[in-house]
Amino acid sequence: MSSRKSLARLIEAALIVAGLAAAFPASAIPAFARKYGTSCLTCHTVYPKLTPFGEAFRRNGYRFPGVDSDQVKQETVALGQEANKKSFPDAVWPAAIPGSLPVAIGFNGLASLYPDKTASIPRTNAAAGGAAVRGSLDDLVAEGHLWLGAALSDTVTTWGELTLGDDGSLSLEHAQLLFNDLVGPPHAVNLVVGKGFPTLSSFGPHSSYAADAQIPVLPVTGLYGLSADPFVLVDNYKGAEVNGVLGGRFQYAAGISNGKNSFGQRFNAENWYLSAGAKLGGMRLDGEGDAGPQDAMRPWAEESLTVHAFAYHSNEWFPTPGGVGTASNDVSFTVGGGARAMVGSAELDVGWYGQSHGHGSDALDKVRAGVAYGELSYVVYPWLVPALRVERMSLKPAGGSSVSDLHWMPAVAFLIRPNVKLVLAGNVEQASGFPSPGGAPAAWGGGSGDAGALAITPTGADPAAKLNELESITAFLAWAL
Amino acid sequence: MQARRPPIAALLVAAGLLAAGPARAAGSTISGKVEATPAKYRPDTVVYLKNVPGAHPPRTHEIDQRGMQFVPHVLAVAQGDTVKFLNHDKVAHNVYSPDGEGYNLGSFKQDQSASYTFKKTGTYTQLCSIHPEMLGYVFVGQNPYAAAVDAKGHYAIHDVPPGTWQLAVWNGDKLKAPDRTVTVAAGKALTENFSLKR
Repeated sequence: MSSRKSLARLIEAALIVAGLAAAFPASAIPAFARKYGTSCLTCHTVYPKLTPFGEAFRRNGYRFPGVDSDQVKQETVALGQEANKKSFPDAVWPAAIPGSLPVAIGFNGLASLYPDKTASIPRTNAAAGGAAVRGSLDDLVAEGHLWLGAALSDTVTTWGELTLGDDGSLSLEHAQLLFNDLVGPPHAVNLVVGKGFPTLSSFGPHSSYAADAQIPVLPVTGLYGLSADPFVLVDNYKGAEVNGVLGGRFQYAAGISNGKNSFGQRFNAENWYLSAGAKLGGMRLDGEGDAGPQDAMRPWAEESLTVHAFAYHSNEWFPTPGGVGTASNDVSFTVGGGARAMVGSAELDVGWYGQSHGHGSDALDKVRAGVAYGELSYVVYPWLVPALRVERMSLKPAGGSSVSDLHWMPAVAFLIRPNVKLVLAGNVEQASGFPSPGGAPAAWGGGSGDAGALAITPTGADPAAKLNELESITAFLAWAL
Repeated sequence: MQARRPPIAALLVAAGLLAAGPARAAGSTISGKVEATPAKYRPDTVVYLKNVPGAHPPRTHEIDQRGMQFVPHVLAVAQGDTVKFLNHDKVAHNVYSPDGEGYNLGSFKQDQSASYTFKKTGTYTQLCSIHPEMLGYVFVGQNPYAAAVDAKGHYAIHDVPPGTWQLAVWNGDKLKAPDRTVTVAAGKALTENFSLKR
């Protein structure tokens, strides 16, 4: 097998892995609905998109404002009473568990149409010379999820997610313990330990109507064939994070994580990140106070502006290209930020980040990457939300030309029932060049998950080729209970 | 065979009843309903009178441990009263409290009991070291004019002497309602409802 074929296969594997990483499973969790005896719509519009109150609930470590247990309607089993604190260390520290298993299940997948039979998306032309595929139900049920969400006390909560792929794969997506209100006023200092997403934004990772992720990812070392499990900004990492909300209007997070390592040997955990945000107007970031939504008939609506910024340091390890038993690493540094403006039921969410890789290309040279995104949405009814999402990815390897991919996603999100959703979306990609590991153009990858993953693939040998395509029209279906 | 009470003793008992009794004889009942937000905290509620002067003969009460629970969940007693803790479960139980002076009555088996006399006012959390989920409360008031609410939030304080008193509500450290001044007239019932909040 030629080295070029090996590289192509590695890139293909990397894009599949990156695609899986980008396919952030929905995190609506009916276990909370059962716990509080409340509808999904208390926290969501078209799930997993959160309302301002739902965002506050998430930021608070999956707790209601005020005293969380006041709102709990589900029976709990005390593992130790509050009064035990007075007897500590002669008595166990108090805790409680839900009276019934705090889990929820859900399924999701998508049906795809490929109106342009000449489009380069791999599924339409799976075999060279094969008949173009016009539509596919292969992914209609792609994933099953088992979610866990519970409180062990008024300040300690836990969150977890197991995802079962239709292909039989099983993935532990999240497993976190959240120690809230450690010192100072409520919500000021919290500690999150376990496996999960880093906090890089003021909003939840699924804060999008059109796609499944607010912040799109760009698997640079995967695009250049260095790693089969490339580093991306938002993924499930093992680590610890300190976060909090100060004065109801400022939020911060700082964390460390294990990062990515496809070499198979352990290295120091050297990934760290910082983020901060502020909100003007609307509900407080922690939901405290008795102001409630500005419009009781439209609890999702408010007049507010939220800005946030972050920095991220990563040290990723992978097998040295062409080497035997040796590892190479790519240190990258990312800075980015975003803003969300809400005017009644209209919302504009924008963001950007720039990434500097020390050894991100196939030649282990420097690469600069840039990602920008924006999504405009309007909640017409609580069950109908049209949106337009745009993402732009760019790469500039040292000594090479800058290439980019522009992804347009017009979409309409429907809530068929409070726990059943359908998103119709179109995927248009405009590539101005392609990543070119080894000098040969390769497909773009990454994006914002599920229907929002990048798919455009070069059709010729020119790495600078321009290509405009309607890749697909998708119907994303999800339900949970 | 029932012992025959000497006449002198009967006189002393009668005198004692009279000493504590004039008020009781003319006593009134304060009753009402307690609402709570959230309602789930309502069972942990005692309505009581503060600072009622006079002697209050000590009484003996019972709290059972049955079905791995303290029954009743909340008991209102007066300073100097004794509570006898029973165990009708087939498993051994313990009773201890970290509150006030603190006490530990050790462990006792089915049909055994242990007693404790409460000499100080306050609320004593009842815990079982063998079963950390068990919880009960003994509310020790300065006087016997106190009542825990029933399942629907109703309470009734009987034999309240005439006078002007402070009526208060205890709900642990969860919910509160302001004290209120009530005037009790001899032989007349009084209704006082409360709404508890954070």
